[in-house]
Amino acid sequence: MSDKSLVDIRNLSVSFPVYGGILSRKVAEVKAVDDISFTIGKSEIVGLVGESGCGKTTVGRALINILKYVAPDVEIGGEIIYHFDGEDIDFTKLSSRQMRKYRSRVQMIFQDPYASLNPRMTVSQIIEEPLKIHTDLSLKEREESVHSLLGKVGLRVDHAGRFPHEFSGGQRQRVGIARALATNPDLIICDEPVSALDVSIQAQVINLMMDIQKEFDVSFLFIAHDLSVVEHISDKIAVMYLGNLVEFGEAGQIYHHPRHPYSRALLSAVPVPDPKQKERERIVLKGDVPTPMNKPSGCSFRTRCPLAEQSCADNIPILETHASDHWVACPIVKNEGVK
Amino acid sequence: MKFLKKQEDRHISILRKRWLKFKTLKRGYYSLITLSGLYGISFFLPMLINNRALVVQYEGEMYFPVFSGYIAGKTFGQDVPGEARYRVLKELFKMKNNGNWVLMPPYPYSPYEDITMEGNKMYEPPSTNHWLGTDNTGRDVFARLCYAFNISISFALILTVINYIFGILIGGSMGYFGGKFDLFFQRLIEIWSSLPMLFVIIIISSILKPSFLLLVGIYTMVNWIGMTYLMRAEFYREKAKDYVAAALSMGQSNFKVMFKHIFPNALVPVITYFPFSIVAGISALVGLDYLGFGLAPPTPSWGQMLDVGLQNVTKWWMVFSPVSAQFLTLLSIVFIGEGVREAFDPKVYSRLR
Repeated sequence: MSDKSLVDIRNLSVSFPVYGGILSRKVAEVKAVDDISFTIGKSEIVGLVGESGCGKTTVGRALINILKYVAPDVEIGGEIIYHFDGEDIDFTKLSSRQMRKYRSRVQMIFQDPYASLNPRMTVSQIIEEPLKIHTDLSLKEREESVHSLLGKVGLRVDHAGRFPHEFSGGQRQRVGIARALATNPDLIICDEPVSALDVSIQAQVINLMMDIQKEFDVSFLFIAHDLSVVEHISDKIAVMYLGNLVEFGEAGQIYHHPRHPYSRALLSAVPVPDPKQKERERIVLKGDVPTPMNKPSGCSFRTRCPLAEQSCADNIPILETHASDHWVACPIVKNEGVK
Repeated sequence: MKFLKKQEDRHISILRKRWLKFKTLKRGYYSLITLSGLYGISFFLPMLINNRALVVQYEGEMYFPVFSGYIAGKTFGQDVPGEARYRVLKELFKMKNNGNWVLMPPYPYSPYEDITMEGNKMYEPPSTNHWLGTDNTGRDVFARLCYAFNISISFALILTVINYIFGILIGGSMGYFGGKFDLFFQRLIEIWSSLPMLFVIIIISSILKPSFLLLVGIYTMVNWIGMTYLMRAEFYREKAKDYVAAALSMGQSNFKVMFKHIFPNALVPVITYFPFSIVAGISALVGLDYLGFGLAPPTPSWGQMLDVGLQNVTKWWMVFSPVSAQFLTLLSIVFIGEGVREAFDPKVYSRLR
């Protein structure tokens, strides 16, 4: 959209077919991500929030284009356009061979630091692997960059020869961050990087990531379900519900003045360490999240929405500008006017 | 973890830790040392157990019959048809004492020489000359036993390695790529494994003259399937883990992901299955030889020795030797397997101990 955008996600849909019956024909599909569009700017941190199963991780994996490896028959629609040095590259249209060239530009930090590091490789082997693939540095140069990366993420040089099982969760996540930084990428997708860690370690890792973001001038897509973490780190926040993007805008705007009824409910659940705000209204949603195999017609949130009207069942709401840099997918709150 | 004696042992890979653990299990460790030592030595059997001399010094010239092969008896002034009789030659030179000499291997009998060679008798009981006696054609039982040991273990090893190559490649690809590839090979394996393989083997080996490589080929046809099941499951499980996604997202090729990332994490069945695969290989060869569909005679083999022994049960050494050789070999392999299993037992690494 603007010149400063790094990646434009346009009408991205991801659905996983469900096979059944004697002949294993496609009987249904899980629409994990349903027609979402947003933009990540250069050196911007975008937080992506939503409850479990709403498609956050799928968006992240679509952005690094590895969904096809995990589920070969996944159907991906829409466009994911990266702007690298004036080049516009649509990741959804690249073959796996063409894709390999751009792998170094987008990296990922995974949720579970216990599963994301190969238990058979030492820390230095793990960190130098992307360097081996994407650069032709000599052994000595690679060793030097591994050591400098270890220093940047707050590990000691003598950690390089150790195996992942000798580290704590926070240290492992630091190794994961160092690996993601190794190729100096433009975008790092952080898939709930701190939700598997202790609260005290979470703060350290979050601060480390913010420092790194400034130092390396890299964009983050920060996927999380912990809103206070997201508010702390993000420039912009995207809120997802059941595969749809319901609200997107500046972090402060969304955190303090959420417009969409789902965002409001989500934010009212954030504990606030302030006794004066004890009387704050809590919105408790009724019922369960519908299955993405059989989504409600119209607005997917209408079955649980406190503001739902008859008309919500008819049309799928689209993201509309409510204020500058604030988009909301709800026609009802639109009519409500700005509070 | 008392097998980790030194402090620096803490920074070692899981596999190395397992090896150290394995070493503490004496039975398996010593079995492994003994077996691999004996197997290593058995490649030098032509220099240890042979009726050809190591060195012959004759009329100022040196001959090395073990390495050079056939040397006619006339070369040494021996009046025999065909090859020189080195044991006789040795006695002769000793008697004449004219500077000629013969250095024989420590056990100067070959597994192939029968009653047509000088001094060999049928059904000779164990003695200082023939440690385990001779069989129905006058061949030395001890020599045959030793040569058969090498053949049996080689057969089982080659068989296992080839099975592993096919099993790991096909099973791994099935698990890793999944989808239609997996489906196709699964059906193929189902059809293939439902063939009555013993009959197929018997039919093939009664048409073609069975040789070592043919038998390996036939058995590979049957046995690669077992490994694919294990590898498919391992790869299927491992590929869902995040470190594979991480490797893919940094642009690693499929082949590297499969064999650099997933395979080292799928080694447990490969290693634990290995001793049993060797046992199965040895038993398979013994079985075929016993039934007469195995290696062509006069090749020394335990199965054939067992067959002959059972036809002459009263000659106890002919039954006792192959049976106890097989028993000891298989027993020590099972000990190794037991040690491997123990070393791979994750309970020892849990924090409860």
